[in-house]
Order: sequence, then structure tokens, then C-alpha cells
Amino acid sequence: MPLPSQPDLPSGWIRCPECEIPCRDRDLPKRSEIRCKRCGARVKRASQATAIQTSCALATAGLILVVLANIEPILTFDVSGNTQTNHIVTGVIDLTRQGYGPVAFLVLFSAIIAPALHLLAIWYVSAACCAHAQWPAWNTVLVWTERLAPWSLVPIYAVGILVSVVKLDMLGEVEWQRGALWILALSACTLTLSQKFDPSAVEELLGQTA
Amino acid sequence: MKTAVMSTPRTNRDAQAVQTVAALVASGLILYIPANVYPVMTMTVTGDVEPLTVLGGVHELWDSGLYPVAGIVFLASIVVPFCKLASLSWLLFLHGKPTFQRQRAATLRVLRAIGSWSMVDLFLLSILAAVGQLGILASIQAEPGAFFFAAVLVCSLFAADLYQPRFIWQIDSPSAAPGRPRIHA
Repeated sequence: MPLPSQPDLPSGWIRCPECEIPCRDRDLPKRSEIRCKRCGARVKRASQATAIQTSCALATAGLILVVLANIEPILTFDVSGNTQTNHIVTGVIDLTRQGYGPVAFLVLFSAIIAPALHLLAIWYVSAACCAHAQWPAWNTVLVWTERLAPWSLVPIYAVGILVSVVKLDMLGEVEWQRGALWILALSACTLTLSQKFDPSAVEELLGQTA
Repeated sequence: MKTAVMSTPRTNRDAQAVQTVAALVASGLILYIPANVYPVMTMTVTGDVEPLTVLGGVHELWDSGLYPVAGIVFLASIVVPFCKLASLSWLLFLHGKPTFQRQRAATLRVLRAIGSWSMVDLFLLSILAAVGQLGILASIQAEPGAFFFAAVLVCSLFAADLYQPRFIWQIDSPSAAPGRPRIHA
């Protein structure tokens, strides 16, 4: 979704970010929003005073959790005494070794790289807001927060772990490891962020500091 | 001057984007067939070699009585990719026409929200491939179906990402008055 830009509109009007029709702008009371009357998209939502600080805190926590989720083992599989433990990365390595490089890359990108970069981008712009300073290239980074969002799939990975535990349980014994907990926490973090983080609020705030 | 404010003009780049989306959807639909016909993985458990297609994996879960999990996998890896490609085709079919615009906008929104669920199957494969390296006791290998399945996902993810909501509101000819955008207060 591109960020709304409305240089050509008279004041008091705002462009719908989806269908680009002008809609009446107004000051919003708490917890309300303006929806486009033509296409039904959300045009503007009331900016909570603390939303950006919350995003910054969540992104910081998320970045720590990304590291933990990647270095701690997720689960141990046991077939008559022979055990094997895995990380997110080991799946990528094993798929590469079996000759499925592109598939491995897709997993690597959507379970490790994209979530980490997405959180980093959100952290960068929201920290800039908290510091009330236009950090270099904040505009570009803001665009990337939206571009990376559909590829940041840690919550889906968490579901994948659940299904795999069910499957492996039919073959042998499965034991949870701490990494699974970090991945769960990271999913919660990512999902809350996608609700809280509002790119247009960031744009407004940093645009004013100029 | 007023019309310039009300509807953004369609650019050459938009037309190219729509063509790319059409190409991606077409390849996705074609690849969807081998993705479901070929096995995605082989499970070898104590000597029993068992190739599994996507549907086979669901079937196995269903047979062992794990209905909710089977349901999730069925929805995520068979229903969602197909619905995604089908509804993208519908959007492309009606592209430039002033019909069902609100429904199309809502469809695109849902599409983008649920689109990535199909990745469950690939993540599952990567986890199983990682822990299933116990020699003859249990070994899990990826199979060519995984390539096709991944390709379907990439096609549909990029297609949904490239098809911008504003395309729905760009009408082909100015004579198509019914859907002509008016200013809403």
C-alpha cells in the first residue's frame, strides 16, 4: 500500500490510500477512524499519543527476540534413542543440501531475513520519531516497512512448528525446546506491531519536524 | 481541473504492472497442477518409503484423527492458494470495468491478509527435513513438488502485491459513467 501523498489537494481533504479519491479530512476523537465512502478502506485513524512509543518498544523487544529465536533450538525429535535438534537455520541448510536451494532461500528470507529487516525498519523510523529527529533516509526506510510486511512470516512459522510437532509425534517422541517459546513471543510481538504501527502517523510527525 | 483531482490518471507503468500480474497469475495457475500432483516430500520411517503429496499429507493427518490440524493444513496449502489465484483472475477479468468495484476492493484486502498462510507447508517441510535426518530410523527428504509449490506461492504473493487497489478504480473509457468517481464528503 503506497503512502498517501496529497500535494494537489486543498486543505481539509485527504486522499484515500487505496482508491485515491479525495475524502473529507477532520480531527478524529479517540479510537475512531475515517473510512473511504467509495471503497471502504481506512483513510485515517486517530493517532494515539503513545502508539509510536509502543511501536518503538515492541520493535526493540522484537529485535532481541529475533536473535534468541535463531540461536536457541526449537524442538528435539527422538526415535528410539536417536535424537535430533533443530533451529530455524538448520531447516534451510538441510533443504539446500538436498538440492532445494530456491525453496531453502524462500524459507530463509521469510522466516529470518525479512522479519529481522522489517523490525529493524520499524525500529529505525519509530526511534527517529521518539528522538524528534529526521534520521537519514527515514523516508526510504518507511516505504520498506510496508514492502517487507507481507514477507515477514514468523507467526506462520509458529503454526508450521505446531503442525510439524503433530506430524512428528506420530513417528517418534518430540520435546519442545526454549526456541519455540521465543518464536511464539516473536509472533505475538510482530502481530501486535502490525496493529499498532501506523506509517502515516510517522510520516506526519517526521514531516513536521522539518 | 476537477477531474484531475478526482481520479488519478492511469500511467504506462500501471498498464505494465497489470500485465505482469496477469503473467504471474497464469504461471501460478499452471504450476498449481504439478504442485499438487507431485509429492512434496518422502518420509522413510523404519524402512517404509512413503512419498507424500500436499493432499496426501492432509489425508494422513485426517486419518490419524487430528481433524483440526488437518483442516488448517488443507485450508492453508490447498484452498488458500487456489482461492488466491482464482480471485486474482476475477480481479483481472473485471479490470477496467466499473462493476463490483467495492467487492473487488474488499477481495483484494482479504487476499493480502490471508495470502501468506500457504507458507505453512514450506515451513513444515523445512522443519521436518531438519529433524528427519536419523538414517534408516526416520528420514525425510524434499521432493520436486516442493519446487512447484514454492513457485506457486511466490507467483501469487508477488501478484497480490503488484496489483494495486487503485487499479480497481481506473475505468477504461470515460463513457463508463456509472462508476465514475464522485467526491464523497
